[in-house]
Amino acid sequence: MDTLRVLIVDDEDDFRETVVKRLNARKIQAEGAASGIKALEVLKDKDFDVIVLDVKMPGMDGIETLRHVKKLKPETEVIMLTGHASVEFGLKGMQLGAFDYVMKPAPLNELLDTIGQAYNKKRGMIH
Amino acid sequence: MRVWDTSHLLDDIPAHKQASAGHIYAPADSQANLQRIRFHFKQLQTRLILGLVLGFLLPNALLSAYFHFQFTHTLKESAKLSLAAVAESQKNTIDLYLQERVVNLYNLFHSKDFSLNPTQEQMETLLASLKHFHDGFIDVGFFDPRGVQIACAGPFHSLLGMDYSHEPWYHTLLEDSKNYLISDIYLGFRKVPHFTIAIKQVFDNQTYVMRASLDPDKFYIFLRAISQGKEVESTLINHQGIYQVVDPGRSQFLNRSDYIPPPISPAGVEEFERDNQKMLVAYASIKETPWVLLTMQPVSVAQAGMINTRLVLTTSLVIISLLISAIIYFTIRRLVDRARRMAEKGQQLQEMLTHASKLASIGELAAGVAHEINNPLAIIMATSGVIRDMLNPEFELDHSPEAICKELSVIDTAADRAKGITRKLQDMGKSRVPSVVECDVNALLDEVVGRLKKVEFKPKHIEIAGDLAPGLPRIFAEPEPLRQVFANILINACDAIADRGTIGITTEAKEDMILVTITDSGKGIPPENLQLIFNPFFTTKGGGRSTGLGLSIAASIVKYLGGIIRVNSIPGTGSSFTILLPINEQAQKTIKQPEK
Repeated sequence: MDTLRVLIVDDEDDFRETVVKRLNARKIQAEGAASGIKALEVLKDKDFDVIVLDVKMPGMDGIETLRHVKKLKPETEVIMLTGHASVEFGLKGMQLGAFDYVMKPAPLNELLDTIGQAYNKKRGMIH
Repeated sequence: MRVWDTSHLLDDIPAHKQASAGHIYAPADSQANLQRIRFHFKQLQTRLILGLVLGFLLPNALLSAYFHFQFTHTLKESAKLSLAAVAESQKNTIDLYLQERVVNLYNLFHSKDFSLNPTQEQMETLLASLKHFHDGFIDVGFFDPRGVQIACAGPFHSLLGMDYSHEPWYHTLLEDSKNYLISDIYLGFRKVPHFTIAIKQVFDNQTYVMRASLDPDKFYIFLRAISQGKEVESTLINHQGIYQVVDPGRSQFLNRSDYIPPPISPAGVEEFERDNQKMLVAYASIKETPWVLLTMQPVSVAQAGMINTRLVLTTSLVIISLLISAIIYFTIRRLVDRARRMAEKGQQLQEMLTHASKLASIGELAAGVAHEINNPLAIIMATSGVIRDMLNPEFELDHSPEAICKELSVIDTAADRAKGITRKLQDMGKSRVPSVVECDVNALLDEVVGRLKKVEFKPKHIEIAGDLAPGLPRIFAEPEPLRQVFANILINACDAIADRGTIGITTEAKEDMILVTITDSGKGIPPENLQLIFNPFFTTKGGGRSTGLGLSIAASIVKYLGGIIRVNSIPGTGSSFTILLPINEQAQKTIKQPEK
């Protein structure tokens, strides 16, 4: 079984780095990207199983990034991370093909659960 | 981000009473608006009613007046004509009457009792036959060619044998071509009013004269009889204006008439005043005698029909005018009332809408605030999770105190961030001690533009054309509200530009004022919106991108600083906002002193 590869896309440095650190500690191969554009650049060279995408980012926002990701790597599962008090953006993301959305602030367990589900779905699809 | 930006400006609105007393925008004051609407409709109602009543009644009145005068004129003329006709017919009747009397007399010459030297008995018979024809005859006399009355019958026997050859009427009769003569009414030898008819007849080249006198009273009765039922007063006068036959109640025989007809005209109608009463008089000359018939009627009687009709006309005009005015008044009042109620309802809806949009803005604000707080919270949770991981030997992470301290400081930073946000929320609406300092407007502008370039201006291609006057005098103000004024107007300028455009910023000092002009090459403001842009919650930016507070906050701040904001805009070309800020040091005192 391959290692689960996760890309965390969030403009909040502290948050992103902390999450990456915690995922790595759990033997998940996690990386961070500070913006949608950077995420797409990373995605060109590497494959990821799951992308955790913050909705609200300066420049290219989460929804826009999601569109590009789904074009570039359709098999990658995306989890929307919304800091917004409303579920509107999360739902919009799911309409555009995201696997699920997680409300910020969320305990890591919840995020891990969702990542795991997304990974299982992806594997089920491939195998 | 916009949601948050405009809302955090709120906490810098000075909360002093004197500041809020004179905002540039008129706050939606429900009662004042209603009063204004009522006043407006009251005015409209008055104008409509006056206009309609005038417009409708004036032509009506003019037309009525015109017809009224025409009618009056015609009726006056017709009254005159009818009186003239009465006079004419009476004149003819009188002529006929007199001619009949002449013929009565002529018949005597052909009577079997006539002889050139009649006896008294014969004369009595002749008089009896005359009286048979007409009871007005008083006496009859016969004159021989010398002019001596040789025979007579009647009550005045003393006249027998008198020589009449020197009497004027006798001369006239003999010399005139006419065979008869009718005298005026006179007293004569007998001292009793009478008039005489004399005729001449030639026998054997000798002219004999027959004469009869008539009782004017009988003539008067005759005159009364022919004018009966005509409401006219008929009088006969001679050419000298002496009454011949007159109503005894009016005047006396041989008195002078109070009306003398013009001497030349044979007939006509005139108006004259008698006993303070306007009279209409028709005159006609009698053919057989030098008399004139006067037929009189008071004008009020002659025009009674006209006056009646005029009264009916005027009364109906007044009634119709009042009726129309009343209809106009009530119709307009109902219509205007309905329109006013609709306008009031519209106003109420507008206010409810404003209220609703305020609530919506507060909702947006809350959503923005929640988002901003959730970010640091997420960091705190994630970091505390990391520390927990570190302390868990299972993860084999570096759990040295230094590493843990590093993570804790991340938590502190995030907590500080959250605290900053809640502090601002707490400050919102609360009055703070203003920190008035000397502000360099140019520096503030540079700072704001620099900040905006990083975020707001970034997605678009915006060229900033700055023309900041060097050595601008400093003003005393709080720098943060000023920054917000500039930022809000600059953000609007940026929003007005679709993708590519120029924002011009100029500053200059002019007569105790600093003028900051911010122009953009954007889409401009439609004229109907120019009035509204300073109203709170007025926005044209859809999709919840704006609270509509930016300009209203800017206006409040500038007003508070003693300045104003001027706007010029050409739709399609761009807008220009000029912020006028006073330089004088008075500003410092007025701001600082209330706080002490």
